[in-house]
Amino acid sequence: MLYNNHMPLSLEQKALQEQPLPSKIFLQGQAGTGKTTAGTLWLKKLLDSGIPAHEILIVIPQRTLAQPYLECLRDETVLAHSLVTTLTLGGLARRMVDLFWPLVSREIGVAKPNLPPQFLTLETAQYYMSYIVRPLIEKEGYFESLIINRNRIYSQILDNINKAAIVGFDYTEIGDRLKASWVGDIEQFHIYDDVQSCVNRFRNFCLENNLLDFSLQVEVFIKHLWSSPLCHNYLVRSYRHLIVDNLEEDTPVCHDILREWLPDFDSALLIFDQGAGYRFFLGADIASGYSLRKECDSIFQFEENLVNEPCITHLKSGLEHAILSLQGGSRKGIRIPYDAIKDSIQSPEENPKYFPVMVHWVANQVANLITAGTPPGEIVVLAPFMPDVLRFYLSNQFDELGIPHQSHRPSRSLRDEPTTQTLLTLATVAFQDWEMLPKRINLAFALMQVIEGLDLVRAQLLTAYVYDARSGEFPLKTFEVVPGEIRDRVTYQVGKRYDHLRDWLESNAPQNTNRLDFFLNHLFGEVLSQPGYGFHNNLDSGNTIANLIESIQKFRWAIGPQLPAEMFTIGREYVQMVQDGIIAAQYVHEWERQDSNSVLISPAYTFLINNQPVDYQFWLDIGSPSWYQRLNQPLTQPYVLSRNWVEGDLWDSEDELAHAHETLRRLTLGLLHRCRKKVFIGMSELDVRGFENRGLLIRLIQHVLQSAKRQSR
Amino acid sequence: MKLPDDFYFTQSNLQDYEDCAYRFYLRHLLHVKWPASVVGDAIAFEKMGQSGARFHRLIQQYLLGIPEDRLRDLALRDPNPEIAEWWENFLQYIPQLLDGQRFIESTLTTSLAGQHLAAKFDLVLVNEDGNLTIFDWKTSKKQIRKDWLLERVQTRLYLLILKQGGASLTDFESIGPEQITMTYWFTASPDTPVTIPYNHHAYQKDQAYFIKTIKIIIEQDSDAFNRTTDHQKCRFCVYRSHCDRGVEPGELASLIDFETHVGSDMLKIDIDRIEEIQF
Repeated sequence: MLYNNHMPLSLEQKALQEQPLPSKIFLQGQAGTGKTTAGTLWLKKLLDSGIPAHEILIVIPQRTLAQPYLECLRDETVLAHSLVTTLTLGGLARRMVDLFWPLVSREIGVAKPNLPPQFLTLETAQYYMSYIVRPLIEKEGYFESLIINRNRIYSQILDNINKAAIVGFDYTEIGDRLKASWVGDIEQFHIYDDVQSCVNRFRNFCLENNLLDFSLQVEVFIKHLWSSPLCHNYLVRSYRHLIVDNLEEDTPVCHDILREWLPDFDSALLIFDQGAGYRFFLGADIASGYSLRKECDSIFQFEENLVNEPCITHLKSGLEHAILSLQGGSRKGIRIPYDAIKDSIQSPEENPKYFPVMVHWVANQVANLITAGTPPGEIVVLAPFMPDVLRFYLSNQFDELGIPHQSHRPSRSLRDEPTTQTLLTLATVAFQDWEMLPKRINLAFALMQVIEGLDLVRAQLLTAYVYDARSGEFPLKTFEVVPGEIRDRVTYQVGKRYDHLRDWLESNAPQNTNRLDFFLNHLFGEVLSQPGYGFHNNLDSGNTIANLIESIQKFRWAIGPQLPAEMFTIGREYVQMVQDGIIAAQYVHEWERQDSNSVLISPAYTFLINNQPVDYQFWLDIGSPSWYQRLNQPLTQPYVLSRNWVEGDLWDSEDELAHAHETLRRLTLGLLHRCRKKVFIGMSELDVRGFENRGLLIRLIQHVLQSAKRQSR
Repeated sequence: MKLPDDFYFTQSNLQDYEDCAYRFYLRHLLHVKWPASVVGDAIAFEKMGQSGARFHRLIQQYLLGIPEDRLRDLALRDPNPEIAEWWENFLQYIPQLLDGQRFIESTLTTSLAGQHLAAKFDLVLVNEDGNLTIFDWKTSKKQIRKDWLLERVQTRLYLLILKQGGASLTDFESIGPEQITMTYWFTASPDTPVTIPYNHHAYQKDQAYFIKTIKIIIEQDSDAFNRTTDHQKCRFCVYRSHCDRGVEPGELASLIDFETHVGSDMLKIDIDRIEEIQF
């Protein structure tokens, strides 16, 4: 929560505010102790003292975490004549590489140092990885012992090369590091060898084509630009004051940079969330972040939790103690008041057998809270992962009860949008030489979407006569081929619209064969958004199509100049990649902000990293081991590829268990630090996938409840 | 109309408002992206935008001190052969004008009528006498007239924001309007930059104009954002189909203010907007 003038400051916050400005301060404390608020107040103090905003750098591990600081700048009481810079390490690397490219392009081994770099997005990097790895799988037997989705293979290889960059070791060591820690079947060694081979090929391909994926951007910045006097001095001169928030969620190389940079700043405030480190799988390193306290003049510890009501504090203590016992810590009991525990947790009288009944219970509880006066924005519904089916059921139930809600997931699938499918279906018809002609039903659905006045039944009738995928000619015939009685049913007005669309597709496709985005631009502007067509006043669809076109455009920019045109057409390749699930799988826009007045449905980690406390939390699927077990990732290993891994150690089942317990501790306590009043427990005997689960979390909660009850007797 | 909390008035959105209030409403308040083409020849339009962006980057790199010979290598090998020529012209005409402290690609903000305004400058030069010059590089193919520039929102807003917010570049010494000039340099006519001086009268006039405009925007209901009556403006507007104002886009050759239509994010290389890879 952002500080406003009406909120009293805690004594700890006041003490920090009274520090003189040239200080370099390390601020640590658990979530809910008001550290970020203190950070925004520190920013105001800098501005009030006359420091220009453009001399202030705010480093965060994820861009959304800069929001409280940006809001602070918009506060009318703050007189800033410029803007602060908010950056992640990735953003800093990208910015510097872009700006100082001519300084380093000859040193880093790219084949065309006098041409600008082509920055790859996650999507286009995944595309190139698939371009390189797919033939190795199909022709050379790579990963033949693995039965997983190919996209997971590509993403895990990328994950490895990115880890090497942000942890700070050479990418050529990935395979050896993974092999050296492995205990088990020898076949896994072959898999790791294949991983290394793919990584090497990918990097070589990038260098040959001036492609800079995330890992290469970071490497170029760390190895070449940070040490370049021109770039280094530019940074040192530009930014005189530093604020770092969620230091514990950042990566070792980011911490290295900050360690070297700190002496150059006039002031610095480093904020460290104790007990967090939720981005571990993305390379967050708590230990290296914490070590930066030694570089600061003073260390502040915030102890007072400003969020929890007493009952939640008791629940937290009970759970922490229970997990500590699991981890081999103190077995000595602590006294937890039963009444407090009862107040802090609510669950159904009896657990239902199937999850839809549990969802029904959740929706009713949410409705009751709202009726009793709780703002919807103070309620969050969490699960370790939020599978689509669960999200769907929740959304439906909330809709039925009129509960405003929003679903937050890290990404939204563009390819699953019906509008996207419609546009790509029309493209595959127009470009018949792609040999990707759609099924008749899909074409009928697309026509129903785009032609006003055409329902699905009549669209099917129409396509039964006008669509011929086998003739070798343009696959859409004119309306006049439709028998008279069917024409009457379809109506002549619809027929006229159909003919106009058909003629447009036939005449415009040939000139746009490698520019699918322009083709869709024109199709949308000149036909589909005109009166008589489905998108004329459909602003939401306009946005979806704009996202699709932007995705295609980025793909064309990243792919077009590098790969030989005679091999494929870019448009066809794009559609193929969408169908394979490699691209258009995610699309998030900066203006898609959270609505503060609706119930949030979110994966637990996403909620944690967004760092917004709420009154009420619903924990669903708590029998699931996903609350603490790591993902099955046969091609990578986040613990082994971290800086804290000791060379020569082996990763065994004890390590796995210890880390599961630690994950559970961080996750549950992190959630409770961000809960004011109560946790609702939602569980069914059979989970979403039909499994009966009684994992650690449910057992721990039961243990806390029973202990408290016993003590109360 | 309540504006979004993070809303800043900029030259781009205010120019949209001046051209068509409904376009402003759709684009900046509702965030409607309407993916129609701005011009018929979309390929040439894209190339112009990308060339402009690369040229702006070259100048930025030059101003930061990257050696000229490296930049010349890049200019000579640029996919657009015009850039090499633009570059040589830049080196011939501009460096001698650059005495003073340079603030490159700086963003300044100020408040007016209780709202925030922001401008991103290609270059602000502060010389020893305390005078400030805004430089703006234009890569349009058309020669642009001075009287047209004088009336553009960009000119008026940039001068006003530098007057009100420029103190953060001068150790908080206040700046008089007479200390400020704005220089447009055109690749199409490199030997004749257009310099626009500022003065107190112009500042007061601009201030009154922007206050009035902002007040109208924040006080009017959503249904009062009307479509422009000047249908010529619809030729290069992506929303024309939504508004029933035509089917095919206008011709690139007729587009005067190419850079406004391309959008500041492409030409100004607004790095803050460049997608970051969230690993």
